[in-house]
Amino acid sequence: MPSPDPRGRPGAPALFFLLLLALLAAGPSEAADTVTVDVGAVYASNEGTSIDPALGTIQGKLRSMFNYTSYRMLDRKRRPLSVGETGEFELPDRRSMRATVLPARGDKVRLSIRISDGPRNLLTTTLGLRRGGMVLVGGPPHQAGVLILIISAE
Amino acid sequence: MDCGTALGKILAKADGLLPREEAAELAGHLAGCPACAAEDAALSATGPLLRALTGIRAMEKAPALDAMWTRVRAGIGESREARRRSSWIARWVWIPATVAVAILALLFYPARTDRSPFHPSSFDVAVEDVESDVATVALVDKGEDLPRVIWIIEDAKS
Repeated sequence: MPSPDPRGRPGAPALFFLLLLALLAAGPSEAADTVTVDVGAVYASNEGTSIDPALGTIQGKLRSMFNYTSYRMLDRKRRPLSVGETGEFELPDRRSMRATVLPARGDKVRLSIRISDGPRNLLTTTLGLRRGGMVLVGGPPHQAGVLILIISAE
Repeated sequence: MDCGTALGKILAKADGLLPREEAAELAGHLAGCPACAAEDAALSATGPLLRALTGIRAMEKAPALDAMWTRVRAGIGESREARRRSSWIARWVWIPATVAVAILALLFYPARTDRSPFHPSSFDVAVEDVESDVATVALVDKGEDLPRVIWIIEDAKS
C-alpha cells in the first residue's frame, strides 16, 4: 500500500494566503449610512524638531502651513457614528469635542462639531466634506505650544 | 624439530591452521616425544569441547534473540503507523489553522487602521457656519492642496 505524502497538500498554503489576502482587501465593513469620525490631537510647538511619523502624508502639509518645528500626536480616536448620532471625543487639557453626523447626499458627509473647554464653548461649526476628507482645527494652547486637531470622516 | 617449535605447531594444528606438510613433520616429532604427544592430545580434546559449549550457549540464547527480533519488528510497525497518522493530521491541520487566522484577522484588522498614518483623500471642506462664545475664530484656506484650518484664538490667550 503506498504511504501518504508526508508533505501534505501542496495547494494548502496558497489557498490559505489567498483567503488572508481577500480578508485584508475587504477590510472592515461599514454600512453606507455610517461615518467613521477620526480625531487626532497633535501638539505643535517649537520645542525640538521632531515630526511624529504617525502623521503620515500630512507631515509636509503641517510644516508648510504652520511655523512650528515639532509635531507630536498626543491622542487619536476613531468612532463610527450613524446619521443623527453624536460621539464624544476627549481631548487633552480636559477639553472635549462632540461630533454629530448630519444627513448628507452622495459621498458627502456633514458634521456638526462642538469643542468645549469645561463649560466654555470654544467652537461650534458645521462642516461639509467628502468621505476621506480632512479639516484642521487649531489654536487652543497646550503646554508651550498649541493643539491642532486633525478631523477626518470616512 | 625441537619441542618449542613443536608446541607452536600443535597450537596451529588445534586452530586448524597448520599446513599439511608441516603436520607430517609434527607427527614425526610427536611419535618420538611423549611430552609433546600428551600436549597435542590435550589441546585436540579441548577444541571440540569449546565448539560444543559455544553451540549450547547459542541454543540457550535463541529464544531471547527471537523475542528481541519480535519486539524490533513490532516497534518498526508501530513507528510506521504513527507516521501515517501524523501525516494525515498534517494534511488537514491547515483547515482549522486557516479558520483561526481568519478570525484573528477579522478581529484585529479594524483596530490596525486606528494606528495607520493619516492619508486624506480630499481637503475639499465647506464650513457652513462657525461661532464661539469665548474666542475669535479664523478660517484659513491656503489652496486645494492644503487642508482648511479653523483657528481658535482664545481671547487673551492665543
